[in-house]
Amino acid sequence: MEANSVHYTLDGQTVAAQPGETVLSVAKRNGIDIPTLCHHESVTPYGACRLCLVEVTWGKRSKLVTSCIYSAEDGETVQTNSERVRRARCLVLELLLTRCPEVELLQQLAHEYGVDASRFQTPDAADERCILCGLCVRVCDEVIGRHAIGFAQRGSERHISTPFGKDAEECIGCASCVFVCPTQALHYEDFDGKRIMKEWHTEVPLVACRVCGAEFATERQVAIMTERLHFAPEFAEVCPRCRGTEFRGAMEQYLVTKGTSR
Amino acid sequence: MNIRTPDELAKLRTTGREALLTAHTRVMVGMATCGLASGAQKLYDALQAQATAQELDLSILPTGCRGACYLEPLVDIVLPGQARVTYARLAADDVAGLLAATTAGGVYAERAIGWSPAEPFLLDDADVPYGSAESAMTGATPSLASLPFFRNQLPIAMRNCGFIDPTSIDEYIAKGGYAAAAKALTTMEPERIIAEIKASGLRGRGGGGFPTGRKWETARKAHGEPRYVICNADEGDPGAYMDRSIIEGDPHSIIEGMIIGAYAIGAHQGYLYVREEYPLAVERLRLALRQAAAYGLLGTDLFGTGFDFTLQINRGAGAFVCGESTALMASLEGRVGEPRAKYIHTVESGLWGKPSCLNNVETWNNVPAIIQRGADWFAGIGTEGSKGTKVFSLVGKVNNVGLVEVPMGITLRQVIEDIGGGVPDGKKLKAVQTGGPSGGCIPEEHLDLPVDYESLSRIGSMMGSGGMIVMDESTCMVDVARYFLAFLKDESCGKCVPCREGTARMLDVLTGICEGRGQLGDLDLLRDLAAVMTDGALCALGTSAANPVLTTLAHFADEYRAHIEEHRCPAKVCRALITYTVLPDQCTGCGACARACPSQAITGKAKEAHVIDPGACTRCGLCMESCRFAAIEVR
Repeated sequence: MEANSVHYTLDGQTVAAQPGETVLSVAKRNGIDIPTLCHHESVTPYGACRLCLVEVTWGKRSKLVTSCIYSAEDGETVQTNSERVRRARCLVLELLLTRCPEVELLQQLAHEYGVDASRFQTPDAADERCILCGLCVRVCDEVIGRHAIGFAQRGSERHISTPFGKDAEECIGCASCVFVCPTQALHYEDFDGKRIMKEWHTEVPLVACRVCGAEFATERQVAIMTERLHFAPEFAEVCPRCRGTEFRGAMEQYLVTKGTSR
Repeated sequence: MNIRTPDELAKLRTTGREALLTAHTRVMVGMATCGLASGAQKLYDALQAQATAQELDLSILPTGCRGACYLEPLVDIVLPGQARVTYARLAADDVAGLLAATTAGGVYAERAIGWSPAEPFLLDDADVPYGSAESAMTGATPSLASLPFFRNQLPIAMRNCGFIDPTSIDEYIAKGGYAAAAKALTTMEPERIIAEIKASGLRGRGGGGFPTGRKWETARKAHGEPRYVICNADEGDPGAYMDRSIIEGDPHSIIEGMIIGAYAIGAHQGYLYVREEYPLAVERLRLALRQAAAYGLLGTDLFGTGFDFTLQINRGAGAFVCGESTALMASLEGRVGEPRAKYIHTVESGLWGKPSCLNNVETWNNVPAIIQRGADWFAGIGTEGSKGTKVFSLVGKVNNVGLVEVPMGITLRQVIEDIGGGVPDGKKLKAVQTGGPSGGCIPEEHLDLPVDYESLSRIGSMMGSGGMIVMDESTCMVDVARYFLAFLKDESCGKCVPCREGTARMLDVLTGICEGRGQLGDLDLLRDLAAVMTDGALCALGTSAANPVLTTLAHFADEYRAHIEEHRCPAKVCRALITYTVLPDQCTGCGACARACPSQAITGKAKEAHVIDPGACTRCGLCMESCRFAAIEVR
């Protein structure tokens, strides 16, 4: 740990953290489990689900903060499982369970916190699975660099949408949104030579490997990869599995073209 | 023309003053949004047309709102050498009489409500007399300052509203405008300005009440360049319109405050974030910016000091949440207006991650007055912890609706009963809602509470931006809570769970209670939900969203219980819980109610008692309003 690290108390033990390191990260390193829904290490913290709330105390004051964003300061005391924290998490889970009663992850988390039924009436769409954690939006934006989807409307009308709810020209069909979704609210299907992104009303043709014939990516994915990594066209049309044999000994030539600095 | 030195500004002030006070007859028409809504444009046009037709030597000009919105349209006339006379509730057919009386050097008594002997020049600490006051007055017109509405007011923020023409920078300068900026830039070090603002005790007027001087100090010390000053003019509380009126009536005061603030913290760029729904305010500001730039008061090398400052207007697209600092800055950056966690404050890392000093319209507008008159003067007004004055928009069930500017520490009762003239129609005052949707309802028994930041917070409400909604006995407090939650549910950005889901579920429960589906556990459920929203939501919109419920539950729990346990709405508001019936003994069979009923629910023969069919009745209450014999009862 660096000399300028900060020290604070986390659930009774003194911990050292790098300046700016989040409580969530420090907790993980120290074997303390904090539940999260909208957090993913690959994207910017968002602080929306409020499940990772922890109680921080300094002097006589204390407040709840989101551990995915907050970095504690020297001398503070952080409790990840105080009564106040549990009360907030229970209600957040109860609210989410009201919204999405069918989502197993929520049922399981709620059960862990002793919330077995919601006291609220579920609104009309009982098959809702999206908790609006925004992971799909952030992954598409920050990791894939496409901004194909975003939030539309506000308040209880808020939902994830492609621009104007039409098919998304920006969507490359990579399905990263599907993989990152914690509640299986998103789906895709490869059918008839196309990848169908079900929630985005978008179909992207698949590319078959020139060597083995297996569909390994979408056309738009291949185009993006070729552009960003400067693939030679004959390299791009071969699937990653076949590249080893197909370009044996000549891989560098295809990868190091105009300099690999993307 | 470029104003390069304080002396050049002073010269302009002197000539401006001569024009302002000694020239020919000055006719001022209150033409802020409130005036326009009451027909001020028609009045202004009629005055212009008749004055032109009669070749009268008058200057007829638009001014802002002086606060007495209930008296609109308002016209003030100053004849050379005579007192200023205020006329209220003028209609187009008053114009001929008004002009005739004025040109004869007299007073149009039919609509005159008061006269003022002198114009206060607040920034100079001087009252400049108009002329030989009383002699010109006819009849028993009282002095304006003696009227209950004006008696206890102390205009600092509204120092120019309703007197100067907001489209004229010369009139602003004539009243002492830009002198504070000249003083600050040419004679004061930034640290000295900050010390002055700190010593004045000025606190944020947008709601939070954070000490302005401390905010400026942090912004000045923060690392990072460039730094920004921002004006929050995204006023959106239902029933509150102080900021709109200040911008419409005195736009340069905000610009001047921002110049001083920018110089103090070391910013060279500023933004005015104004909501799109305030078109006149935007128009006035735009013109003011152009005029200030033309005079060299914005741009480069202000007052020859080498200090550069530019200001631009950004319009908010209609989201209440954009009044929250981080959401406002996200919106300024061109992103969706959503709040983010503020563990690092915006003064250190705000707009584009740079130090950003955000203050409300009224806060900026107070700054020139403090610099000009000094911190001691300002700190001498108000209470220990809350200095200066606050503008409130006094609305709802109160006789004198309008903007009132009072010293901090005045009691709610003084504001509502003395200035506001109490509740109309002899009804009983029940509560007052302060602080907008995030504030709370204060019951009648606490009306002797002084109006200051701490007292209002202590009782569960807040100062907020200054909305003050008066409620009488015919207001159902559960319905009020439901109304505010419906507003907040629509305005929640939807980012965090406690606010998005919490406001929606809270509204469900409240709607259930209002519609007679309330259950015994509902009150506990509301309290549980409120506690976690308050504790765990992301931004201030969410953490304060439960306040309308919490304060009504604290002070009016009986009313909630009546709805739930007895299926009764004591204020007779909630439609599912009330019935309208005809009292046969009182009914004369005139048929007025039957004609008024939009759902044909009332039948009966002429001159015989009528009957309301409860199945067809929608409980709109029109029958009751139409009955002249008090023969309709609601239970």
